[in-house]
Amino acid sequence: MKPLWTIFRLVWRADRWTMTRGIALAVVVLVMGVALLGLSGWFIVGAGAAGLAGTGAIFDVFRPSAGVRFLALGRTAARYGERLLTHDATLKALAVLRARLLAGIARAPFDRMRQVRGAQVLNRLTADVDALDGVALRVVIPVVAAVLTLGLALVTLSWLVDPAVALWSVLSLAIGAGLALALAARRSARPSRLAQAMSQAFRVRLIDHLRGRSMLAFSGQLSESEAAVLAADTRNRKHTLEVARIERRAGALISASATMAAAGALLIGAEMARSGTLAPSLAALGFFATLALAETVAPLRRGVAEIGAMREAARRVTRMLDSPVEDGGGSYAGAEALADLALQDVTILRPGAAAPLLTSVTLSVAPGESLALVGRSGAGKSTLLNAIAGLEPVAAGTVLIGGTPLLKWSEHALRIRLGYLPQRSALVSGTIAQNLWLGQPEADAERMLECLNRVCLGDVVARLGGLEAQLGEGGRGLSGGEARRLTLARVLLRNPDILLLDEPTEGLDRDTANRVLDGIRQACPQAAILIAAHRAEERAWADQALALQ
Amino acid sequence: MPEKCADPAAARLTQAAACAGGDLGRGGWMSVLSAVLWLPQAALVASVLSGLLDGTATDRTIWLAAGGFAALGLLRAAIQALSDRVLVEAVDHVLARERAELIATQGRRSPMSSGPGSAAVAALASEKLAMLAPFLTRYRPSSLRVRVLPLVIWGVSLWHSWAVAVILLVAGPLIPMFMALVGMAARDASERQMDEIGSLNTLLMERLNALVDIRLLAAAPRVVAQFEGQADALRQRTMAVLRVAFLSSTVLELFSALGVALVAVYVGFALLGQIGFGAWTTPLTVREGIFLLLLAPEFFQPLRDLAAAWHDKAAATAVARDLVEIEADTPSALLGSGVAVAPMSGPPSISARGVRVAVAPGQVVSYPDFDLPAGRTCALIGPSGRGKTVLMSALAGLVPIAGGQITVAGQRLTAETADAWRMRVGWIPQSPHFFAETLQANLRRAAPGATQAELWRALSAVQAEDVVRRLPRGLQTRLGETGTGVSGGEARRLMVARAALGRADVILADEPTANLDSETTAVVTAGLLELARNGASLIVATHDPVLVAQLELRIDLGDVA
Repeated sequence: MKPLWTIFRLVWRADRWTMTRGIALAVVVLVMGVALLGLSGWFIVGAGAAGLAGTGAIFDVFRPSAGVRFLALGRTAARYGERLLTHDATLKALAVLRARLLAGIARAPFDRMRQVRGAQVLNRLTADVDALDGVALRVVIPVVAAVLTLGLALVTLSWLVDPAVALWSVLSLAIGAGLALALAARRSARPSRLAQAMSQAFRVRLIDHLRGRSMLAFSGQLSESEAAVLAADTRNRKHTLEVARIERRAGALISASATMAAAGALLIGAEMARSGTLAPSLAALGFFATLALAETVAPLRRGVAEIGAMREAARRVTRMLDSPVEDGGGSYAGAEALADLALQDVTILRPGAAAPLLTSVTLSVAPGESLALVGRSGAGKSTLLNAIAGLEPVAAGTVLIGGTPLLKWSEHALRIRLGYLPQRSALVSGTIAQNLWLGQPEADAERMLECLNRVCLGDVVARLGGLEAQLGEGGRGLSGGEARRLTLARVLLRNPDILLLDEPTEGLDRDTANRVLDGIRQACPQAAILIAAHRAEERAWADQALALQ
Repeated sequence: MPEKCADPAAARLTQAAACAGGDLGRGGWMSVLSAVLWLPQAALVASVLSGLLDGTATDRTIWLAAGGFAALGLLRAAIQALSDRVLVEAVDHVLARERAELIATQGRRSPMSSGPGSAAVAALASEKLAMLAPFLTRYRPSSLRVRVLPLVIWGVSLWHSWAVAVILLVAGPLIPMFMALVGMAARDASERQMDEIGSLNTLLMERLNALVDIRLLAAAPRVVAQFEGQADALRQRTMAVLRVAFLSSTVLELFSALGVALVAVYVGFALLGQIGFGAWTTPLTVREGIFLLLLAPEFFQPLRDLAAAWHDKAAATAVARDLVEIEADTPSALLGSGVAVAPMSGPPSISARGVRVAVAPGQVVSYPDFDLPAGRTCALIGPSGRGKTVLMSALAGLVPIAGGQITVAGQRLTAETADAWRMRVGWIPQSPHFFAETLQANLRRAAPGATQAELWRALSAVQAEDVVRRLPRGLQTRLGETGTGVSGGEARRLMVARAALGRADVILADEPTANLDSETTAVVTAGLLELARNGASLIVATHDPVLVAQLELRIDLGDVA
């Protein structure tokens, strides 16, 4: 339950005031509902008694009937307010949860960050966050409102009717709902988790089946693969049915406890009325109020259905929220001078791999110089750049930035000195200026346009409508080559001391490639540039070249 | 107009529901029965409370009535649970069937046919189809209750008091109006909220996707702040809509609350003798009064349930629309069933006569005739867009031909012979696909019985041993989306190794060296030629003149027809 509690605290802090008012109104709605039905029952039985006794003319009809009308209208108004406030609070919570998740993963180690990029992980994460959206609206607010209303009812009914009736009603409802919640929380966690896992497996296998269907036809495995896909679905549905069964039982428990509460209230009240210790109208009040009190626990059913899934989601999401900080504790903030780059005997071994990817790489790049890494695809060019940028561990040897080992740098200072354009670089939806702003928040329009010109994007941007032109999701609206150059401009804008570029001119024609390469040097004349070169133009442009074996 | 648009979707929903037999209907009627049982419960309560007033209540009647009330209540809970169970199981059946059908059609769609992408189909099959469940288990039963319960309660009320019936009748004709009003508003509200969550998720996913860049640019705090700002703007827009949308459901609640309050006030006054009209037996008895008061809320309850479930219908209709759309186009399927059969016998020669393939509705590509004797190497050349990949697919029976005939190993390539033919063919696609399993399992797909030694031999043919050794877990590395990646050139080499392992008699390779550096191109080419030296026929669709020069024959498709 702890992860769920953590999530709730987060949601609660998003806007305590709105949440508090929402809960208060939820209680008002429930209390008014109880009062409405109780008063109506009392009024009718009282009126019936007065009518039978022939004292109808002196029975005060106006205050009760006014009360009925007031409660009917007031309850409706309160309900409107409650819905607005709780939805507002929920929407705030949605945003806070996602923002915290974003901040949490942004601090995580790089390998985890890269895992999160996979569609599968993203899907699950989204499903988890969606599952948690109901924590406040469907679990916490109803539970708190139910507890408060039941407490209030216990006191009021004890005073108005009789402690025995009050205790019976409130306790049977509370025990029934409590048991149902506990049962669901305990029992549904496992099937929820399995259903979720199987639903993911179903999706993955299905995508695999569809994408690989030609290959499957050649190996004669199309039907087997289809069967495997359907098997995942069968198990998913089996666990989903199990969750539904638990929910059904919990729901039946809640219904049964409401029935027993009302039947008991009727019995106790009627027996007392018969023996003359309680007015029949008050017995009716007790019974009708108990009927309405069932409304306090009924909404819990929805939460009961989801609580298992929520617990699982909370467990995974909280792990993402407080992921360990990547910064290895380095505190070096850098010197005044421009930093250079040097590698001494660097070996890179992927965890679990039999052979190192790179052994004993030694190189140095001074400010204003450039070095091209060459070698066939898969030789380790990108991995070496990743290691220099701190994205991958170095098995042996040292990476020196400005003469100081990489691990001693503070993350913040390192990012200021070191600019890196990785092979796969993403844009976000928004304006071109907003994308560049990610690179350098202080840059003005003039500086941005200058950088865009350096990478031969000036005309493209002008054609799209300038810096304020909107890009779609992931930079849609630009061609692959244009998007690549925009990410390059974003790095150049930072004017770093050291520039790591992974195939920066990929997908460009020869002429444009040469102009972009010259633009890079003009944009950062003093930078030490290390470039993973794929094509002759990049190799020719660099001052020196180093072949990776 | 909207009626017309919604029709095919509504029909599709009915069709989906129909496959559960009568279970969905039975479940719905059980929920009606459970709700109707409230009437005898209310009658028991009325008898006890009125008995207290007129002094007829005894210890025995009170216990009997309370016991009866409890028993009926428990019975209601049990029937409701049973109804839920029947409905949930029926829906499970519906989902199983819909998914199986969708997957069977889409899984055999020709790779050349247009249609939704794999991710879109997967989304439809998993979470979208699942949205039919709340529609079938919540919306439909509550719409059945709306049609039955108010009528029953109104009839019973009329039996006892025409005034109460009139009060309910005033609300009665308003019900369809309420439904429309509430329906529109609730739909709007829930759609807005879904949109809101959808947009927030899109924003979040996009940023998570760009997170490595964001970190490298030291932009995380800025991005989080920006995200919060965007989320807040979205929230404010949504709340503006919700403020209006919630008003209309408030109207429904208001009318139902007023209806109940009016009944209570009327009954109270009638019992006091201050109102002398409205009941058939004047004056209204206490027992009748209490009974009517207990019934009044139930008159409105089904309507409120329906309003609460309105979104389920909107969601299900959207899903049905997707289904109608995807089913509207009947994609060309690959020939045969894709199961393992005995390989075709005879030397694997290939010949084509007057082959024409429909690549899109109304767009048919014609191909020149050719004969390829077994064991020869051949280049398939022609400009981009001429349809090289389509022809390769047709030769493998992956796409049906619209005219002419393809003869393989002396037999005509048809749906009956395609499976046996493919058992002899190795396929190297233009874009490599790795299944979400270990590299070893991927390689073994073409040759389940291959030994470790054979695996390594096949890898050595394309100098891929080092590629594997450098992978985190060697042959046990899981490739694919979340697994460790290999570069494009490495993936091509592994595809050739897989084909080598399959020992196919015919290798169809589609642009095997496109976008590769010269070193890797040389390795892939050597690997392919090695396969041919071992006796396989080799057909390569390519633009690469160096590769073409090393092949014996060529089929020139010429310019775009």
